[in-house]
Amino acid sequence: MTDIIVLENVNKYYGTYQALRDVNLSIAKGEKVVVCGPSGSGKSTMIRCINRLEEHDSGRISVNGLELSDDEKKVETIRREVGMVFQSFNLFPHMTILQNLTLAPRLVHGKSRPEAEEIAMKYLTRVRIPDQANKYPSQLSGGQQQRVAIARALCMNPKVMLFDEPTSALDPEMISEVLDVMTDLAREGMTMICVTHEMGFARSVADRIVFMDNGEIIETAVPLDFFASPRTERAKAFLGQILAH
Amino acid sequence: MSLLSGWWDDFFFGLLMVLRIFAVALVLAVALGLLGASAKLSGSRVLRTVAQGYTVVFRGTPELLVLLLFYFGMALTLTWIARLFDPSVQFVDLPPFWAGSIAIGLIVGAYMTETFRGAFLGVDRGQIEAARALSLKPHQVFWYVRIPQMWRLALPNFGNHMLSIMKDTALISIIGLEEILFVAKMANSVLHRPFTLYVIVAIIYLAMTTVITWAVGQLEVRANRHVRGAR
Amino acid sequence: MSFDISLIGSSLPRILQGLGLTLNLLAVSTLLGLMLAVLILLMRLSGRSWLVWPAKAYIYFFRGTPLLVQLFIIYYGLPQFGFVRQSVLWPLLREPYWCSVIALSLNTAAYVSEILRGGVMGVDKGLTEAGKALGLTRFQRATRITAPLAVRLALPAYSNEIVSMLKSTALASTVTLMEMTGVARTIVANTFAPYEIFIAATIIYLVLVWIIQTAFSMAETYANRHVRKG
Repeated sequence: MTDIIVLENVNKYYGTYQALRDVNLSIAKGEKVVVCGPSGSGKSTMIRCINRLEEHDSGRISVNGLELSDDEKKVETIRREVGMVFQSFNLFPHMTILQNLTLAPRLVHGKSRPEAEEIAMKYLTRVRIPDQANKYPSQLSGGQQQRVAIARALCMNPKVMLFDEPTSALDPEMISEVLDVMTDLAREGMTMICVTHEMGFARSVADRIVFMDNGEIIETAVPLDFFASPRTERAKAFLGQILAH
Repeated sequence: MSLLSGWWDDFFFGLLMVLRIFAVALVLAVALGLLGASAKLSGSRVLRTVAQGYTVVFRGTPELLVLLLFYFGMALTLTWIARLFDPSVQFVDLPPFWAGSIAIGLIVGAYMTETFRGAFLGVDRGQIEAARALSLKPHQVFWYVRIPQMWRLALPNFGNHMLSIMKDTALISIIGLEEILFVAKMANSVLHRPFTLYVIVAIIYLAMTTVITWAVGQLEVRANRHVRGAR
Repeated sequence: MSFDISLIGSSLPRILQGLGLTLNLLAVSTLLGLMLAVLILLMRLSGRSWLVWPAKAYIYFFRGTPLLVQLFIIYYGLPQFGFVRQSVLWPLLREPYWCSVIALSLNTAAYVSEILRGGVMGVDKGLTEAGKALGLTRFQRATRITAPLAVRLALPAYSNEIVSMLKSTALASTVTLMEMTGVARTIVANTFAPYEIFIAATIIYLVLVWIIQTAFSMAETYANRHVRKG
């Protein structure tokens, strides 16, 4: 199996603060990886480097065989293959749901409007809210907005999906509707990297858990091992806190 | 209103003059505002300094002073330039219409610069990241995501700047342009009814500003139609 | 065309002779305008329609028409009426100084009352509710909770309004007053050196603006001293 994402010795600084320390990670096609760790541990920074919302300072990151560099064309090519879902949804407030979904397919893939709308409706149906197509984001609940955001990313037909704490901004009763959609997606064989604290989701969906702290990958393990017997003290402490409630 | 018989057409042409100045000054102010805001947000130190100087000077100087400086100064400069080509030229005037619209455009452009800059920065960073993550090109992010959202943020101030332009047109009567305040002065020299005449001018301005306020209100409703509830 | 930089320097002292009158107009009109603004604000917030509507009409008229036209109505317009010329106010109303002060005060009052209203509206409802829960009277809530917070919120906009008033004092030159712009116009009429003289005047105005803004930013820092920086 080929690795679709490879990070080699990646370092990232904010001024003098080191956000990522020698991060090495390879992700195979179809693999589902959950990244966890305390806040400020570099999880978000790492996945934001993968589609170059952040620039890494040293090391190599390649996606689908293409290495990330300053070359804007290459960055655009990579972003076309990588979908992203944000903690705060980031739906465009001035566009309807349908417009949110069709914008990139039309502008980037040059699809016609009927084509783009057909694709959009397909994915809206998959995230189970086809009836909201003509509403504005502010008229939807948080859970619905996040499902729209997932559909928006899927409309670009990505090879990889990045999730940056997709349920952290949601009210508890809405978390499961978003996780269900993500679980469906995993079953269909999508390559996924999820930063999340939802350990139930991690246990049932992830092929691997990556535990980060202080900008470093401390531990990588299959879920069963990670939850049953974390190898490091830091992971133990973290799990203790997370699972306490 | 029989008092005004014989003056109605003068007021009408005065009003047309006001509207023409308003249109020219508005276009100029928006163009300068966009340029100024881009300069202030640009990476170039020189551009930022120039834009900063522009806004400080034109927001801090009395409008009347800018107008007079422009009118008399440009006349002097144009005369000097004309004499380079033809030494027999006595005096070249910058028409009050152009002196006035350019001066007002420059002043209000400085305010527009600050408004556009603020609105530009007011667009949530997450919006831009989301657009980039969808692999939109920088110019697509600008036109489809930034501009529509910054427009909503800029509208209330933009409306106020339009009102300023409208009200500033009254100043141009001082350099002899035949707009409504000037017409009222002329009429008064014959009719000797200063209160009545100046109140008529006030009412005409009030009508103009009311229309602008209403129009901006409509635009705001349109721009905010996707925002739930009152802000 | 000659541009004589030394003329800027030599005209500064002459233009500064108008500084006293400029500051006088600014101070007197700002003060009168503020008092009137508070009155109008109270009318607007009273909730009684016979007070609210006159206040709204006042604001609508003075914000919707040019200050220059308002000044002309007062200075040139009022003497049209015999009763004005016979009234006790006539000694004031025939003076260009007082006409300018009246026009500036009436005009700024409309803007300032809206600025203050913005401040009042910006005060968190929870705070006045907390005041109610503590048993404060309506008057106590207004003076102890709403007003101090509203003033803090209104300060930045108020500072802009003072700058705008400073610039408006230049209009007094159109009714013969010799404040700074009036002096500058006279010098230009004699020397015909518009660039040098008007630039000199501009420099003085910019310094005044800078002083006003600095003073207000210090006032804001002081007013917000209890607010922790985020």
